[in-house]
Amino acid sequence: MSMLTRRAAMIGATAFGVLPVARLAQAQPRPDLLRFGLSVWPPNLQPWQSVGQAAGMIKMLIGRRLVGFDEKGELRGELARDFGRDASDGAWVFRLDPRAVFHNGEKVTSEDVKWTIEQVAGERSTAYYRAQMQRIDRIETPDAHTVRLHMKEPTATVPLWFANYNMPIVWRGTRNMNEAMGCGPYRLAAQERGSWIELQAVPNYWVPGQPRTKTIRMTLVADESLRLAALQSGDVDFIEFVPWTGMAAVEADPRFKLESTMGPFMDILFNGTRPPFDNPLVRRAVAHAVKREDIVRVAFSGRGKVLEGMPIVEGTPWWDAELSRGHNYDPERSKALLAQAGHANGINTTLLTTGAFAMHKDSAEVAQQYLAAVGIRAELRVVDWSTRVSQGIRGQYDLAVHGVSADFNDPDGLTVVLDTSLSAAHGRSFGLSAPRTTELLNKGRQEFDHARRVEIYKDMQRAALEEVPVVGLAWREQGYAFDRRVSGFRILPGALSLSSGVNLEFTSVG
Amino acid sequence: MQVKRLILPGAMVAFIVLLALLAPVLPLPDPVRQDVANRLAAWLPGSPLGRDEFGRDILSRIIWGARASLAVAFASAAIACLVGTTLGLLAGWFRGLAEFFAVRTADVVLCFPPILLALLVVTLLGPGTATLILVLSILYLPGFVRVTYAEVLSARGQDYVEAVRALGAPTPRILSRTVLPNIAGPVLVQFSLAVAAAVVVESGLSFLGLGVVPPTPSWGLMIRGARATMEQAPTYLLYPCLALTVTILAMNMLCDALRDAVDRKGGTRAPKLRAVDRILPGLFPTREPAPLLEVQGLTVDIATPGGAIRPVEDVSFAVRAGETLAIVGESGSGKSITATAVMGLLPPVAQVTAGVARFEGRDLLDLPEEERRRLRGGAIAMVFQDPMSSLNPVHRVGDQVAEAIRAHRDVSAAAASQEAVELLKRVGIADPERRARAYPHELSGGMRQRVMIAMAIANRPRLLIADEPTTALDVTVQAGILDLLAQLRRETGMGVVLITHSLGVVAETADEVVVMYAAQVVERGTVAEVFARPLHPYTRALLAAVPEGDAEPEGIPGVVPRPDAWPPGCRFAPRCSFATPICERPQVLEQAGERLVRCIRWKDLA
Amino acid sequence: MLYVAKRIAISLVLVWVVATVVFLALHMVPGDPAEVLLSTGGTSPDPYAVAELRERLGLDRPIMVQYGEFIARLARGDLGTSLVDDYPVAEEILLRLPRTLELILAGTLIAVSIALPAATYAAVHAGGAFDRAASAVAAILQALPVFVLGTLLILVLAQWLRWMPAGGYVPFAQDPGRHLLLLLLPAVAVAKGLAATVFRMARAAVLEQLSRDHVRTARAKGLTPRRVVRRHVVRNAMIPVTTVLGLQMGTLLGGTVLVEFVFNWPGLSTPLLRAVETRDYPMVVGIVLTVSGLFLLINLAMDLLYAVLDPRIARS
Repeated sequence: MSMLTRRAAMIGATAFGVLPVARLAQAQPRPDLLRFGLSVWPPNLQPWQSVGQAAGMIKMLIGRRLVGFDEKGELRGELARDFGRDASDGAWVFRLDPRAVFHNGEKVTSEDVKWTIEQVAGERSTAYYRAQMQRIDRIETPDAHTVRLHMKEPTATVPLWFANYNMPIVWRGTRNMNEAMGCGPYRLAAQERGSWIELQAVPNYWVPGQPRTKTIRMTLVADESLRLAALQSGDVDFIEFVPWTGMAAVEADPRFKLESTMGPFMDILFNGTRPPFDNPLVRRAVAHAVKREDIVRVAFSGRGKVLEGMPIVEGTPWWDAELSRGHNYDPERSKALLAQAGHANGINTTLLTTGAFAMHKDSAEVAQQYLAAVGIRAELRVVDWSTRVSQGIRGQYDLAVHGVSADFNDPDGLTVVLDTSLSAAHGRSFGLSAPRTTELLNKGRQEFDHARRVEIYKDMQRAALEEVPVVGLAWREQGYAFDRRVSGFRILPGALSLSSGVNLEFTSVG
Repeated sequence: MQVKRLILPGAMVAFIVLLALLAPVLPLPDPVRQDVANRLAAWLPGSPLGRDEFGRDILSRIIWGARASLAVAFASAAIACLVGTTLGLLAGWFRGLAEFFAVRTADVVLCFPPILLALLVVTLLGPGTATLILVLSILYLPGFVRVTYAEVLSARGQDYVEAVRALGAPTPRILSRTVLPNIAGPVLVQFSLAVAAAVVVESGLSFLGLGVVPPTPSWGLMIRGARATMEQAPTYLLYPCLALTVTILAMNMLCDALRDAVDRKGGTRAPKLRAVDRILPGLFPTREPAPLLEVQGLTVDIATPGGAIRPVEDVSFAVRAGETLAIVGESGSGKSITATAVMGLLPPVAQVTAGVARFEGRDLLDLPEEERRRLRGGAIAMVFQDPMSSLNPVHRVGDQVAEAIRAHRDVSAAAASQEAVELLKRVGIADPERRARAYPHELSGGMRQRVMIAMAIANRPRLLIADEPTTALDVTVQAGILDLLAQLRRETGMGVVLITHSLGVVAETADEVVVMYAAQVVERGTVAEVFARPLHPYTRALLAAVPEGDAEPEGIPGVVPRPDAWPPGCRFAPRCSFATPICERPQVLEQAGERLVRCIRWKDLA
Repeated sequence: MLYVAKRIAISLVLVWVVATVVFLALHMVPGDPAEVLLSTGGTSPDPYAVAELRERLGLDRPIMVQYGEFIARLARGDLGTSLVDDYPVAEEILLRLPRTLELILAGTLIAVSIALPAATYAAVHAGGAFDRAASAVAAILQALPVFVLGTLLILVLAQWLRWMPAGGYVPFAQDPGRHLLLLLLPAVAVAKGLAATVFRMARAAVLEQLSRDHVRTARAKGLTPRRVVRRHVVRNAMIPVTTVLGLQMGTLLGGTVLVEFVFNWPGLSTPLLRAVETRDYPMVVGIVLTVSGLFLLINLAMDLLYAVLDPRIARS
C-alpha cells in the first residue's frame, strides 16, 4: 500500500518536472565530516555525573578512560597500556600509556588518575561511581605512569568500573567541571545548546592515525521517525536509536547499513514494601503471566527477543538454557501461584510507566492486558519521566515497567538492577527483600576464579527466579544506521551497545 | 435560511455524538482487546478499518475515541461555561472586587500560552481524563467570563433591566430571569466554540502524550501511535486523522451557523437586505425640449429567500436641464431604490426587470458597466443621505474629493488636490486647505455633506441626484445645504433629482414633484399645482403632516405596507380615510389635466 | 500616554502573577531536578550524589526562601541559569526566540499573502464558485489539526517524494537556501490555521465593508471596481483584520509547540518542553515569562496600532 502510493507520487512528481527540486532538498555528504543524528540532548558534559548515554558517548570521545572495550566487548587498555591484579598484595595495577597527553598538552600522569578517583569518591561528589570509588582503600602512585589501587575488600570487577563512560580521567588542574580537560581524540569545538554539538579532532592526539574523521557534527533529532527520515533524506549520515519500526526498511535499503545487537531490556519492577507484591509468590505470578512475544512484536516491531529469566546474555558463560526460561509464559501456573498466595479472586493494583518513551508505554500496555488475564487488574499510570523517576525512588507505585541496560556484560553489571539492598532507585524494585540474590551477587564480585564465578551466578539466577527482584520482559535490539559510505563503525555487544558511540573515532566517511 | 444552515452540521455533530453515546451498545469489538498476531492488518473480517499496532480494532477505537474526546470536550466546556458565566455575571453586576477578581483572573489565564498551561497542569496532576477536563475548563474560562461580563454590562444599562431593578427585584432573580436569557445566545455560541476547540486541544495533548491515558482509545493517541508506523500502515494514520478533521469541521460549521443565527436574533447587526426601500414617481416627458433624464416604466425586483419582491413598480418621470424634480414619499415607498437603479448602484440582489432610463438619449439601463462607470461621478453625480457613513472614515476628505476628479480626468495628484481645495471652497467650507486634510469624523454633519456635494460636482455633472441630502442633518444646516444645491443648479444649469420625505423641502426647491407610495407613483405634477390642489388622498395626508405655524403635524395613521404584502387594490386604501369598497380594485395612473394621479375617486374628492 | 503607562503597569503585575504561579506550580509538581538529571538514560542515581547536587543547586532550602531569591533576581532582570548545565537562561531565550518569531512571521506571511487576496476575491464575488470552494478549503484547513497536517506533510513530501527535508534547522548565515527550505514546511503548518482564520475574518470584513455607504459613494464617483475594492473596501476591512492578526500571532508564540515538535524546529518550544521534563525551574520560568510578556506587549501594540490605523479612534 505504502509503496504503491509512494510510486504514484513519484510518477506524479516526474510528470510535473519537479524532481530537480528533490536534489535541492538533500544536503551532500563531505568526507571529513560525519553528520550524526542524536536521539537525546546530553544535559551536560560534566565528566563523572551520570546524565545518560548521549553525554556518555561525547565524554568517551572527548576523554579517555583507563580501560575500554574491543569489538567483542572484551576489556582492553585505553589510557592504561596494561592492567591487572598484583597477586602478591591483591592491588589492581594500571600502567599508563606514556604518550598520553591532555588537550592542553599536559602529560597524563598517575597523579591525574589519583586526583580523578579522589574527586569521584569525594564527600561532595555527585559522581555515578562515587560509591564504588569509596571502596578503594588506598591509591599508590609509585611513578608517573603507574597507579596501584588497594581495595577495602576483594573485588573482581574493578577494571570494569574504569571502563564506564562516567569514569574519564580528567586533568588535575581542571576547576570548572563543565569544561573538564580531557585527553580523548576529540574536543568540543562548538555547540548550540539543545540543537547541535560539533566535535573536532584534536591535532595532538596521542594515538597515531586516530581519529579517522576530522569533524563530527551531532544534531539533535529527538523524534525517532524524524531521525530516520533525516537519514533517509540525506540530512545526516548516521543515526543512533534506529526506531524498531524502521529497522527492516533500513536493512532493505541498499543505501544504508544497520548495526544492531540485543542490548538493553525491559522489565517489571515491584514495590516490595506493601502487599501484594511483598509476596514472592505474587511476583512469580506476574512473571509467568506475561506473554513476551507480544511485547517484542508491539513495542519493538519484532526487533527484540523474549526475556523469560534473568537478563543474562545468551552465549555468555553465565547463561543457562533452562534458567533462561525460568519465568516462562504460563498463565495457569500464574493463576495457581496467585491462589496459593491467597489472591484467588485476583488483585486490583496500578502499573506505573512513562509516556516519554513509547517502548515503556507499549510494553506496559501489553503487560497490562496479560496481567488482567490472570486476574491482576492493573490501572495504567502514564506519567512524564521526572514523575516516573520521583515516584520510583519514593516507592509511590505498585508495579512499574522500566527499560534499562546492565552496566557491563559481566553479570556483576546486573547488580544495579537486581540488588534491591542498594539505595532506592527508579530502576530497581523498591524496598524488596531478595537476600539470597544480593548475597550471591556480592560473592560473585569477590570471586576471582572464573569457573567458580560461573557457578555463583547460576545460583544467583536460581535465587532471583524465586525471589523475583525483577521480571524480565524482553531484550530490545539497539541499532545504529548509517550511509554505506560510512565505514569502520562497529556496535559493541550486549549491555555495552549503548557505549558503542566511542567507536565513532574509528569511523570514516566516504 | 438560518435553520437550514444548522441542519447539515447539526446532523453531523448529532450523528457523531450519537455514535459516541451508543458505543457501548453497538456490536463493536472490545476497543482495548489486543490481538498482536494481527497487528497493523489493513483489513480483517469484522475489522473493516483494520487493526492498530496492538492488533486492536481501529473502527471500534475510533468510535470509542469519539466518546473520550467528546466527553472531555463537553465536560470541560460545561464547567468553563458554568464557572465562567457565573464569574462574568457577578463581575458585570456587582463590579468592584468581583469585577477585578474575575477579569484579572481571565487576563492571567489568557497570557499563558495554552499548550504551556496544559503542560504545567498535566505534569502537576498527571495525565488523565480528569486532568484534561480541568486544563481545558481553565483554558476556556476567560472566554465565558468576558462574553458574559460584556453582555451583562450592556444589559445593565437597558431599560427593562433598569425597570426591574427599580421595582426592587432581588439581584439573583434579576440575574437569572432577566439578564441570563439575554446573554444565552452569545454564551451558547461560546459554548459551541469551546467544545470544538476542546476536541482539537484534547487530541493535540493526547498526541503529545499528555492527554488520555492508554489503553483508553483517543484520536490523538491513535495518531501518535500510527505516526510511528506510518510507513507500514498509512491507512491506520488516515482514519483517526479523518475522524478528527471531520468532527472538527462539523463542529466549526455548527458554530458558524449558530453564531449567525444568534447574531440575527440579537439584532446586533442591521438587517442586510433592506427589502423595502423607497420609491420615486416620475413625470411624463410632456413638453418640448428633450428631457435630460427620462425614466419610463422602471421596475425593480429583489430576490429574497421568501420569493421576489418588487420595491419599485412601473415608475416614470423626466427631468430637464436646469430643473429640479422632487420625489417624495415616506420611508419604504421606493424613492431611493429608484435613484440607485438609475445610477446603476443597486445591490446584487436587486435587479431592474423592466423600463428604460434615458440620459441624454442613451438608455442607462442598457449601457455596459464600464460606460456607466464613466458616467457615474462624471455626467451624473449623486449625493447621499448620511454623509458620515457615505464618506470613507479612513481617508482624508480632500483625498476623497481628489479621487473623484482623478477617476474621470487625467490630472496629476497635486493638481487634483489643488482642485479639491477649490471645490471645498466653492461648497462653502471655510479654511478649505486645512479641512481637506481632515478625516470625516473631524467635521460637522453639515460640512461633511458639503464635502459630499463637492465630490459630486467635481466633474461638472449635468444631472445631480440628491437622495435625502438633508435628512441626517440639523434643521439649522438643512437650509444651507438646500441653498447650496439651488445655487449650484443655477450656476451650472444641471438638472437635479431631489429625493426627500419632506414636502417643505419640495416647496422651497423643486419645479416638479413625484409622489410615491408603496413602490408606485401616486401623483405627479408641478409643485405649484400639487401643493395648491393635491388630488391623491396620500398627497393630501402628506401635506397635512407638514407642520404649519404652531400646529402639530397630523401624522398619517398606519404604516407603509411591507413589499411582500402589498394590498391587492389601492395600496393606500388601508390607511385612507376616503377608502370605499371600490378601492379594493387595482388602480391605474390616470391623466388629470396636466397631472397624473392613481386614485379611482380623485374626481369625487376634488 | 497615561493609558499606555497604565497598560504597562497592569502587564507587569500580570507577568509577576504568572511568574509566581509557574514557580509555585513547578515546585509542587512531583519530580526533582537533581534526581532527574542523574537518572537520565535510565541509570539509577546514587542518593548521596542526588542529595549533594540538590544542595549545590540550592534546592534543599525552604521554598519561600527560593521564591524570595527568585523574585529578587527577577526584579534585577536576571533570569538565572539552567539547573542542568548552568547555561544562562537569557542567552538560551535570545538564541531561540528569534527562530520562533521567524517561524511565526514566515507563517503569517504565507497565510496573509494567500488568505487576504482569496478572501477579498471571495467576498467581492460572494456566493460564487470560488467563494464556496475557498470557504470550504478554509473550513477544512481550520479543522485539520496542525500535527495531523505536519505528519502528513512529512510523510508525503519528505519520506515518499523526498522533495523536502524532513525537518531541522540551518542558520541563515550558514546556508540561506537551505535555511529557507527547512523553514518552508513548518511555516506552512503554522500558516495553515492562521490562513483559515484570516480568510474567514477578512472575508467577513470585506463583505461588511462592501455593504457600507461609502462604498456606494465610491462607486457613485465612478471609480473603477478595482480601485473601489482596493481603496475603499480592502483598506477599511484591513483595520480589524490587522489587529486580530496581531493577536493571533501573539497566541502563536506559545502555540508553535506542536509544529516545532513535529518538524524539529529548534525554537523556544523545544527547550521549554525539555525544561519542564527535567524540572529545570529557571529555564521554564524564564521562557514562560518571555512568552507571556511578549504576548502582553503584542496586545498592547495591537491596541495602539488600531488607533493608528483607524483615524476615528482618538489618539489620546
